[in-house]
Amino acid sequence: VSERRTEALIAAIAADARPVRVLAPPSRRALVTLLPLAAMGGLAIWLLGDMHTLTGRYAGRENMMILELAATLATGLLAATGAFFLAVPGRSRAWLWAPLPPLLLWISLSGMGCWRDLVRHGSTGWRLGESRDCFLFILAASLLLGTPLVWRLSRAAPIEPMRVALLAGLGTAALSAFLLQFFHPFTITFMDLAMHFTAVAIVILIVAVGRRRTLGVG
Amino acid sequence: VPEPLFRAGFRANKGPEDALSQADTDWSLLLAAAQQGDGAAYRAFLEAALPFARALARRRCPNEAEVEDVVQDSLLTLHRVRHTYEPGRPVQPWLAAIVARRAVDAARRRGRTASRELHDSGAYETFADPASNREEAGDAAQSLARMMAELTPKQKEALDLVKLKEMSLAEASAASGQSIPSLKVNVHRAIRRMRAALGRAESA
Repeated sequence: VSERRTEALIAAIAADARPVRVLAPPSRRALVTLLPLAAMGGLAIWLLGDMHTLTGRYAGRENMMILELAATLATGLLAATGAFFLAVPGRSRAWLWAPLPPLLLWISLSGMGCWRDLVRHGSTGWRLGESRDCFLFILAASLLLGTPLVWRLSRAAPIEPMRVALLAGLGTAALSAFLLQFFHPFTITFMDLAMHFTAVAIVILIVAVGRRRTLGVG
Repeated sequence: VPEPLFRAGFRANKGPEDALSQADTDWSLLLAAAQQGDGAAYRAFLEAALPFARALARRRCPNEAEVEDVVQDSLLTLHRVRHTYEPGRPVQPWLAAIVARRAVDAARRRGRTASRELHDSGAYETFADPASNREEAGDAAQSLARMMAELTPKQKEALDLVKLKEMSLAEASAASGQSIPSLKVNVHRAIRRMRAALGRAESA
């Protein structure tokens, strides 16, 4: 009986064969989404960024700065790109883990930086810096970056919205944290770092919890 | 749709193709045409892909009813996300991902149902004619046979003579050669054992 119902379903579905706009390959969709965001971010850094304090904070360990920035940026780009791949059925599940290596590098490098300051400055290394502003910065920047990203992802009506939401949230938060580096006029402490990652976690959580509304039905 | 045709042809020229990837190439063309609004191609694709989807669902579902549910859910999902198929790419991984997803959903649903609903075996005894409820009778006979299998030969014999054939202890003793006290003990132990087996079966 239910097999006959399946036949009927096929007939009904085939009768509803309206032309659809075929989605471009995920790599191209990621590029088209991320390029304008990169241009916006680049412009903001160029106009408003504080390169002097950035290089000042990392004086004597410029390589470390470059590596940390690169790890943050790579986390964001890989996660956002991976979200586009996982939004489409049948693409490699490996995209879920692609941002993990740069993420670990980012976490450990920023942790190391804080440790250095803690050793040098003693207990002041524990104080809560001006991270409240950073916290708000990450949330605001995530809103600006995340809205177009999630909107573009929702076009695919992902069948596994949780994975897509996790990657989109991580990508958004990491890119925001990357931007933050250029607007950050002081040395960060462990407390600040904890605040940063709390903001990152909140962004991931918001996107993941709201996945049904933002990404369409699973 | 010239582009997918070209791409599929290009792939076909690359080397000897097995039947599977030939089927995939055909599906790819049909699905690409369906994306452009060709209902006949869409139907041909769905009918050709149905056994594949069913086989995938069967691998992940415990019973046929759920297989068909998963297949139907998958068809509806396929319809909703048909714009995500990229013409020229293999269809099977795309379709398999959809079926796998819907099978996971079905398994979760099953888990929820099992944890919140009770199974009333009596509800299946629908017919006034007792002979129509044979299925249950078969089950009962089978579970009785399973319980009997746990008994020792002497316990089985004692139970058979005293309880099923309803002989007196003296008659049973004469028939079996077991003494009256040992008949009593064996009947008692047999019943206790079967009760324990029944308890295990019900809690399982």
